[in-house]
Amino acid sequence: MPPTEDLLRELAPRVLGAVVRRYGHFDTAEDAAQEALLAAATQWPRDGVPDNPLGWLVTVASRRLTDLLRNEQARQRREDTVARWTRTSAAADSTTDDTLILLFLCCHPALSPASQIALTLRAVGGLTTAEIARAFLVPEATMTRRITRAKKAVKDSGTPFAMPADHASRLGAVLHVLYLVFTEGYAATSGPDLHRLELSAEAIRLTRILHRLLPADQEVIGLLALMLLTDARRPARTGPVGELVPLEEQDRSRWHADAIAEGIALISDALPRGATGPYQLQAAIAAVHAEAATTEDTDWPQIVALYEVLMRVSDGPVVALNHAVAVAMARGPRAGLALLDEVAADERLAADHRPLAVRAHLLERLGDLDAARAAYLAAADLATSLPRQRYLNTRAARLPDRPGHEGVGRRDAGDM
Amino acid sequence: MKYMILALASQVDYDALVGKPGSAWTAEDFAALRRFMTDLNEDLTESGELVETRGLAAPVHSRRLRLRDGVPVVTDGPYAETEEVLAGYWIVECASFDRATEIAARIVDGPGPDSDRENYVVDVRPLVDSADDHLAD
Repeated sequence: MPPTEDLLRELAPRVLGAVVRRYGHFDTAEDAAQEALLAAATQWPRDGVPDNPLGWLVTVASRRLTDLLRNEQARQRREDTVARWTRTSAAADSTTDDTLILLFLCCHPALSPASQIALTLRAVGGLTTAEIARAFLVPEATMTRRITRAKKAVKDSGTPFAMPADHASRLGAVLHVLYLVFTEGYAATSGPDLHRLELSAEAIRLTRILHRLLPADQEVIGLLALMLLTDARRPARTGPVGELVPLEEQDRSRWHADAIAEGIALISDALPRGATGPYQLQAAIAAVHAEAATTEDTDWPQIVALYEVLMRVSDGPVVALNHAVAVAMARGPRAGLALLDEVAADERLAADHRPLAVRAHLLERLGDLDAARAAYLAAADLATSLPRQRYLNTRAARLPDRPGHEGVGRRDAGDM
Repeated sequence: MKYMILALASQVDYDALVGKPGSAWTAEDFAALRRFMTDLNEDLTESGELVETRGLAAPVHSRRLRLRDGVPVVTDGPYAETEEVLAGYWIVECASFDRATEIAARIVDGPGPDSDRENYVVDVRPLVDSADDHLAD
């Protein structure tokens, strides 16, 4: 990122926060702040960065807000409507960081997760609507409508610019949005590119900010560690032509050592303290993987144990699926397949390729190659991303024709 | 950031407040209003948000000046009896527009005869008070 862009992205939520604090009008203020950022992006590289960049942006955004409000009010008068709203709860809060307040506003319970994500990326992340639309592969007009509706919903809710009274219980929604942004970037659910780097990097950047603002929160630490440990594998996760490389075949020397060290340090520090939430547990699992030189060296019983704790705190079929994989690694494919039948029956996974892909892997390891081939091909049909479809079809094609032949499937001690 | 909270009233409201014939304001109403204002100002002083508060004399005492043929000309008592004009103000320094609005909401919900309360009008306006309002060109 050029230095100006870096600075602007960092200042974006603070500009919006300052303007909304002073003048209200969350929806219009957001437009005004974006216009100020746009003006800075063109003027600063040419004329130099002003002495007080934040002050400059707040001033320009405030003036723009005045213009936008006058236009709105003139239109409302023509239409003979007056903006009326009912004030809600207390807001005597000057100590909380504006960026944190904005995160909670953008993850407002009145919004759908898709809208929360879009609004967070724009209002807190400082991305333009066009950039967000591109990242989520939707037309810009669609994203504009989504963001406009989301901003209006936040404004119409009358929520004051302050930390919500129930912020502890709403932090989960904020973390979930950041996690979804990260996973959308890491494992693109659709489209030709497996990694949409900017979204993952943006999620990490925003989670770092959240960690700085709430340094004692264990789940924020867990989420940041999870993102760092997962993202560290990125260089090894795709092959030379962009194909997907599974964890067991990854060249671990290509993992980002710095990110792994930081992630492990964060989670090691957090785990001994207090209640353990789902993000910390997932980070702990990622840390166990990161600490092993190979799949064989991995402490699978430890991973199984962590998944069992995780299943008690979060009721997700994907967690149960991963648990089945870990059990297969610790105790052999038969044990994994036995669990898989139960997991695959969960209707939340009905259209998901992952149970079939896992079944295919386990059948391959058992040596049941015809069944493995059928499962790989069926999984490929359900997969939505092209790299994943290619990976699964390639696995099917790589299987030898005759059972008994030593193929790519590995055999564990548990198989014998 | 600083905000001015303006309470508006007409000459008719002032007359009612001082108990002119036809006024709905009883002695109890008036006492309640005084208590309300004292409590409010004490709370705002306590929270550190009050910069200044003042009440204005009845509109009839106003003078309006205009230039006529280059000479300032004074009009005494320029307002119609029912015209809402500034009656009192608070300058508060607080966390946000929303907090200033909350204080204003307490003021507009002040005591008085029910027949009058629905006519109360309070405005909140951000003050231009710092360099960042003027910084950029």
